[in-house]
Amino acid sequence: MMTSFFFAAMSTLGFGILFNIPRKQLLPASLTGAIGWLVYSGLVESFDSVVMAAFFGAWVVGMISEWLARKRKMPATVFVIPGLIPLVPGYGLYYSMLKVVEADYASATEMGAETILVALAISSAVIVASSIGRKFKRKGTR
Amino acid sequence: MEKKQVKQIVKLALNAGKVLLEHGAETYRVEETINSICGAKGLESVQSFVVPTGIFLNVTHEDEYYSLIHRTTVKRIDLEVIAKVNEFSRRFASGEMTLQEGEMELVDIEKGPVFSLRVRLLAGGMAGGFFTLSFGGGLGEFVVAFWVSVLVILLTTKASNYRISFFLKNLMGGMSNMILSLIVINLLALLSIHIEIDRVIIGSLMPLVPGVAIVNSIRDIISGDFVSGTSRLTEAILIAVALALGVGTVLQGYIIFFGGGL
Repeated sequence: MMTSFFFAAMSTLGFGILFNIPRKQLLPASLTGAIGWLVYSGLVESFDSVVMAAFFGAWVVGMISEWLARKRKMPATVFVIPGLIPLVPGYGLYYSMLKVVEADYASATEMGAETILVALAISSAVIVASSIGRKFKRKGTR
Repeated sequence: MEKKQVKQIVKLALNAGKVLLEHGAETYRVEETINSICGAKGLESVQSFVVPTGIFLNVTHEDEYYSLIHRTTVKRIDLEVIAKVNEFSRRFASGEMTLQEGEMELVDIEKGPVFSLRVRLLAGGMAGGFFTLSFGGGLGEFVVAFWVSVLVILLTTKASNYRISFFLKNLMGGMSNMILSLIVINLLALLSIHIEIDRVIIGSLMPLVPGVAIVNSIRDIISGDFVSGTSRLTEAILIAVALALGVGTVLQGYIIFFGGGL
């Protein structure tokens, strides 16, 4: 478990630099991504559903980001975007298009539907988290 | 308020929105920032409409209409710029800043620090390499994915300097990714080191794949920004198509010329 935490943190760190997040926020952002990945990979097995696991993983990322955003006076996006990277279904979208190119339409639709559902789950989880964050927002922060 | 001053405020608000949009901010953030900058200086009737390719802004003040339209595109995702503009609009709204100071600060923000190319390449390699490990690759796959990602990011960064379309850029990204992986893996096979190509491809494509774009597009759609959402979704799908075409054609070519067996 520690190794997969470390791997996820390092890849989130890589993306954090590619997205040019402020230097001081690199470490918390990578830890956020790694925690989200742990929640996700833990729940995938027990739920047997990628979509539900992605929802809860993204929700945890969103909540941590809202908390960090207030602590560090930064918009939550700075932590949300890199934090979601390990969960985000970019590879699924690529893979379903690859199946279209290879004329394997059955796998393409299956993978494509899952990709859309995972994207829906992740974005609604982030919106739920930010609505909760807004509820407890101090005046003047965003 | 004089006409000239209103014009300056509208211009500043549009500029702030432009900087946000070009660095990958969400639609609602761009609209809220524009509205809050105008509102801070007492302009009440502000209508802003933002899509990923442009900003439409209209302000009504004392029976005069002030309209600006700005055509632009997202240049890159830069979260530091977004954080700074956010902080800027908050300070501006609290009235600590004149219009001239605001303009100057926006120019500074846009110039803001970016990581050097060398650090970005290293980061891309890390992103790709560690993803390979997350998806069950071993040390060999990590090393190959690391270097393939570094080279692909170098190539796509250089290609962006020539202002080619995003579709072509990603097509090239997918092709070069596959070509490089095939070359390296075949060379290593000569030294009887076996590398699983699937895991290398999963990891090294990660920096190119439109994961953030697809989640942001759905987020826009859920929040009711349908035009932004659908156009971002179209972009995400086309990026994935370009990558898949790139990878797919190279793979087909390889199978035809060298016959099956990876």
